[in-house]
Amino acid sequence: MTWFIAGPRVLLVSRLVILLMGIPVQLAAQGLSPSEADATPVTGAGSHTALNVSIAVFDPGVPADRSLHRDLQVFPRIREIEAMFLPFVLRDTLANTNEWGAVRVVPLPDVAAELLVSGTIVRSDGENLDLRIRAVDASGRVWLDTEFGGAATDNYAKPDNEPSAQGNRQLFDEIAESIRLARAQLNNKALADVAEISLLRYGDQLAPSVFGNYLDRAADGTFTIRRLPARNDPMLDRIRRIRGTEYVITDTVDAKFQELHTEIALIYDMWREYRRKVVEYQMENARWAQDTKPDAPRGSYEAMKSRYDNYKLERIATQEQDSLAVAFNNEVGPTIEAMEVRVAELEGWVDMKYAEWHRLLEELFEVETRLQQ
Amino acid sequence: MLRMRSMPVLCLLIAACSQNPVIDDEMMRFEGAMPANVAGSWQRNYALDDEVNAVLRQAYDKLSRTSQDPRFPGGPGIRTTSAKDMSSVYELALLAELITRPAVLTISQNEHEISIARKDDFAISCAFYDGVASGIENDYGAEICGWDGEQLVSNLILPDGLQITHRFTMSRDGAQLRVVTTVSSSTSRIPFTLRRFYTKFERPASEFNCIETLSMKRVCSTGEIVL
Repeated sequence: MTWFIAGPRVLLVSRLVILLMGIPVQLAAQGLSPSEADATPVTGAGSHTALNVSIAVFDPGVPADRSLHRDLQVFPRIREIEAMFLPFVLRDTLANTNEWGAVRVVPLPDVAAELLVSGTIVRSDGENLDLRIRAVDASGRVWLDTEFGGAATDNYAKPDNEPSAQGNRQLFDEIAESIRLARAQLNNKALADVAEISLLRYGDQLAPSVFGNYLDRAADGTFTIRRLPARNDPMLDRIRRIRGTEYVITDTVDAKFQELHTEIALIYDMWREYRRKVVEYQMENARWAQDTKPDAPRGSYEAMKSRYDNYKLERIATQEQDSLAVAFNNEVGPTIEAMEVRVAELEGWVDMKYAEWHRLLEELFEVETRLQQ
Repeated sequence: MLRMRSMPVLCLLIAACSQNPVIDDEMMRFEGAMPANVAGSWQRNYALDDEVNAVLRQAYDKLSRTSQDPRFPGGPGIRTTSAKDMSSVYELALLAELITRPAVLTISQNEHEISIARKDDFAISCAFYDGVASGIENDYGAEICGWDGEQLVSNLILPDGLQITHRFTMSRDGAQLRVVTTVSSSTSRIPFTLRRFYTKFERPASEFNCIETLSMKRVCSTGEIVL
C-alpha cells in the first residue's frame, strides 16, 4: 500500500532529477561545443585561495547629459565598446598571474560570484586611461574600491612576448597586484568561507526555501555562515551541477568576449593612436599659436586672421577626431552587434533555464520534504 | 584646451563682449522640432551675392555720416572719416571676404545637431539638447548657435573683441539659402556685413556605397559593404 502511495512521488523525483541531469543535452541543443564551453579553465579545485573571479562588463562612464559628451571628449559608442573590451584585458592579466581560479568576463554583475570585479571608465582619451575598480567577494566584503590611472601607451594587439610590448599594461598589472594584496589580507579560513558563501548565495537565489537559512546578513550587507548543509546533501550537489552548467554558458559568453578582443584589438589600437596624434596636433597647434603671435597691430587683417586660424585649426582637429570615431564604429560595429546578439541569446537561454531550475528545485524540495515526513 | 565648457561660461563671455549679445537666452532654446530644416547641399549663386567693394563703399559712407568733428563733441555729424576708421572697416571686409569664400555648403541636420561643412574651413556646428543650445569653447574662442525665428544664427567669439556671426535663412520654397555674415571688432566703430546666396542642388547618386574605416580608410562597394 505504501509502495503505491510513494510510487508516484518517487517517479516525480526521478523525473525532476533526470531533468536536472539532462543539462548537457540542453547545452548541445544550444550549439555549445565542448571547445566553446571550456574557454576558461577552472583551476584551483580544492584550493580556497584560488577563488573564481567574475569581471563584469565595465560601466562606460558616459554622462547622462549629452551636451557634456563633446566637452569631455566622450564618444558614447566607443566607450560602450571599451567597456566590453577592457575587462578582457584585466581578465587576461589576472589569468596570467596563475593566482586565481577561473577568471571570467560576464555581461552583468553576479552578486554570488566568489569575487566580483566591476569597473567604471573615468577617462579614456587615447593618452590616458583612468578606471575605478571595485572588487567585492561573495560575503560582501569590499576588497578594493580605487581609481587607477595612467598613460595608456601599450598596444593591446601585440602579444606579450614581443619586446615592444614588454613592460606595458602597467595599469592592469597594478590593478591585478592590488587585488592580490587585498586577498593576502585574508587567511585561508576566510577565503574558504567566501567560497562556501558564494555557493550558498547561489543556492539561495535558486531555491530560497532550501538555502534561505544557511546565511546571516548583517546590516552592512555582509554575509556570514550560520550553518552549513551536510556534505552529502543532494540539494547542494544539484546546485553545484546547475552552477557548473551556468559556468559553461558563462564561459561561452566569455569566449565571445575573447573573440571580440581578438577582432577589434588592432582597430582599437589604431583608434588610440589616432587620438594620440590628434592630441599631439592640438599641442603643436597651441605651440604654433604661442610662437606666432602676430606682431601686426590689433584689429589688423593679419591679427584677426591669426585669431580666426587658431580657432579654425583647433576645430578641424576636433572634427577630424569625430570622423575617426565614426570610422572606428563603422569598422567594429558589425563585430560588436554580432557579439551582442549571441550574448543576448545565451543570456536569454540562461534566464529561461534559471526560472525552470528554480521551479524544479522548489518542487523537488517539497517532494523530498514530504517523503521524509 | 578648456575642458569645462558650460552655458554660464559662454553667457558671461558673450555678455562681456557685447552689450547686446548676438544670441540671447530666448534664441538659445526652442520647443519641439527645430524651427527650420536647412539640410542639403547648397552651391553659391554668385549673381545674387553682395559685391564686396560696393558694401565697403556703403560702410565708408555710413562711417562718414556718423563721424563727429572732434572739435565739437556732441555736435552734428560732419562728412569726414578718419583714415583709422576706414582702415579698420577695410580690415574687417578682408576677413569677411575670406570667411565667406566657400562655393559649396553641405549641411546635415538631425534632431539635435546641425553641421555646416565648408571647404578649407571648419564645419560650423550647432548642438541643441532638449531644445537648449550647447556651445563649443576652446582655448581660442567660443561658438554658439541659436534660432531667431526660422533664422539659424551662429556666433563665434574670438579674442580682441572679434566676433563673426552667420545668419542662415532659407527661402519659403526651400530652394535658396541666404547667409548674412557680420564681422565686428572692438577696434572698428562699425561692423562689416556681407550677404552670400546659395541654391540647393542634389548630389548625383553614387553607384557605390562607401564607408570610412580606420584600417582600410575608405571602403566602397556596389552592393552591401561587408567588412
